[in-house]
Amino acid sequence: MLEHVYLIPLIPLAASLLIIFLGSEGGHSRMPLLSILAMAWCLAQALGIFWQAACGHVHLPYQASWDWFSFPVDAGGKAFSYSMPIGVLIDGAAAVMLVVVTLVSSLVQIYSLSYMHGDPRFKRYYAFLSFFTASMLGLVVSNNLLVTFACWELVGVSSYLLIGFWFEKPGPVYASKKAFITTKLGDCGLYLALLFIFTKVGSFQITQIQDFVSRGYLAPMAATLIALGLLAGAVGKSAQWPLFIWLPDAMEGPTPVSALIHAATMVAAGIYLVAKCYFIYVASPLAMETVAWVGLITALLAATMAMVAYDIKRVLAFSTVSQLGFMMCALGVGGYTAGLFHLTTHAFFKALLFLGAGSVIHAVHSNDMRHMGGLSKKMPITFVTMFIGTYAIAGLWPSAGFYSKELILEKVYGHSPLMFAILLFAALLTAFYMFRLIFLTFLGSPRDTVKHHHADESPAVMTGPLLLLAFLSIVSGYLLERNHLFAHLVDYTFPEGMKPEGAHVNALFLNYGVSALVLGSIGLSWKLYGGQDFKLAESLKQKLSWLFNALEDRYGFDEIFLGLVSFSDKSARLAFWFDTAVVDQIFVDGWGLLTKIIAEISNLFDAMFIDRTVDGFGDLSVDVGSGLRSLISRGQVQEYLMYIAIAVSLFATLILSR
Amino acid sequence: MSAQISLAHYLTLGALLFLIGMFGALTRRNIIGILMSIELMFNAANINLAAFNHFLHPQGVAGQAVALFIIAVAAAEVVVGLALVLAIHRNTETVYVEEFSILKG
Repeated sequence: MLEHVYLIPLIPLAASLLIIFLGSEGGHSRMPLLSILAMAWCLAQALGIFWQAACGHVHLPYQASWDWFSFPVDAGGKAFSYSMPIGVLIDGAAAVMLVVVTLVSSLVQIYSLSYMHGDPRFKRYYAFLSFFTASMLGLVVSNNLLVTFACWELVGVSSYLLIGFWFEKPGPVYASKKAFITTKLGDCGLYLALLFIFTKVGSFQITQIQDFVSRGYLAPMAATLIALGLLAGAVGKSAQWPLFIWLPDAMEGPTPVSALIHAATMVAAGIYLVAKCYFIYVASPLAMETVAWVGLITALLAATMAMVAYDIKRVLAFSTVSQLGFMMCALGVGGYTAGLFHLTTHAFFKALLFLGAGSVIHAVHSNDMRHMGGLSKKMPITFVTMFIGTYAIAGLWPSAGFYSKELILEKVYGHSPLMFAILLFAALLTAFYMFRLIFLTFLGSPRDTVKHHHADESPAVMTGPLLLLAFLSIVSGYLLERNHLFAHLVDYTFPEGMKPEGAHVNALFLNYGVSALVLGSIGLSWKLYGGQDFKLAESLKQKLSWLFNALEDRYGFDEIFLGLVSFSDKSARLAFWFDTAVVDQIFVDGWGLLTKIIAEISNLFDAMFIDRTVDGFGDLSVDVGSGLRSLISRGQVQEYLMYIAIAVSLFATLILSR
Repeated sequence: MSAQISLAHYLTLGALLFLIGMFGALTRRNIIGILMSIELMFNAANINLAAFNHFLHPQGVAGQAVALFIIAVAAAEVVVGLALVLAIHRNTETVYVEEFSILKG
């Protein structure tokens, strides 16, 4: 089972290629079944590996390497052949991630059968989905940071293709470009970090790098730089502050794609990368602190922005950003297990929420929660499952979110009470805006009667995945927490003296106090949005309009980045103008002109003086010659004789007078 | 003392004769005169040869022999020269050498 783990990314890849090249395109294509079949295989294999690991049948981490390519190196006077390996590295985190990714992807693909049915590019959609998942799985299993980076970029490309899937419309095109370029901004840092790693370590293999770092060969400064570069990549991919701006727009893609992006394949990559390279962060306390604060800021900002959004998918997008902030913060304070635990449970309930939102959108054909309301009777299964998802994300007992969030809060409290307070506040906001979503969508009276009238429960292909995910959202936390299964499986052994120690928060307070606060927050939400009309909410909005505006503008981060874009656009134009007007006109063309003028002058000089002089000498010799000829050679024999006589007498005189 | 005729006398005679011939060759307009002057110059050389033979190698006859050869050659040369003169005269109706200048460069 484990020795064939390399099949897990390769099978969906093969499936996506087959789907792209075989079969006919159309809304009723049968090719998607191939994609689902491939994913089912991967899910089965991933579950098998997880089961073996959980039961202790196999020893993790498991590593296998094959030669990939080699190239001649001449370093330090020694010439040798450097061979780059490609391989798999399965540790506990990877085993868990494999299950999460394949499970969510399978469910999303089954769900999409109904959601995307009839789309003219139905087949292509599945090819992209398969490719997206294959890229993510490759990232998860790779033991080589170079391959990880390649898969990382493939994930970016696939997300670009899927967010911009409906490329006839301007919105998705804009969103896909925004997502791609924003994540690339972070990838610059990641790329530099990788170069730095290879320069320092001379290898991309994670185990070798870990060995190098754990022996203390890596200077703290270098570790910090590398860690921050990796963090930049993770910040872009996992939509952390300040590069989170792409994720709320990424919902322009089909809703199941949003579920996939938000739960398993895209944003998880950033967190997973930080976890995969955790040993570098451990070597640099500064980088750890940065990770924690980035996560904290993200968690708080995104949570506040979600409070005022009316687009159902936008609320969920902000909540994803916020939850990712929780995970990042957990990783930053040393809560390796806590962060990955939350990543796992969050994948289940966020996929559930997005697929539920997709079901709602499918029914009412609108994203705007102001056009919904009272849908609970029309769509009971969707309502119940989404309520469970909301219950889980709010972190109430006994849902999965309760266990993971509790673990994060405990870790953060141990690190710094201030951070704990901020994060607790963000958690309360989470409960508030998520229940606001439920109240606005499903409770109250229908605000758009036409839409409400036409709304209907989604087919079983869509509700089936919802039910399964709802079940997982309830029990996964308990099951993984039981017997410390997750902590046993996914743990990071800190080096001696590095283990973060801190005060332990009162378990009673965590269990009951936080839950009480969350319930209070839900009550507040009910007070504001639970009724038939929203008088209180409206009056609050009137009073705090500046705050609402700031939140709806997302604190102006989009404007800042658009300003940056337009600034770079302007500076590019300026540079272009400088290039054409100054460099080309003055330097290049002017230089040419100057050369031409000098050449003309030189030519003139040549013709006037040099040539004239040369010609003059020629003419002179001709003149002298013809003059001499007319003077001497006149055909008079006696003159010739006289010359002979004179010459002979001269020579004779010379000879005789010697 | 009787005045002996020495080699210098002969050489002086030869030189005078040569100069006379030279003068004639350079100054005569008539081409026949020029030929005759050239004969004088030949004979000046012959006198020298004979004198050198007589005074420097009295027992030898090489000088006289060469002088005889020169007389023969001069005769042949005059034959050719006069033939040329006749040909020129036929074409140009003149014997004045300055009017005959078609060989100028």
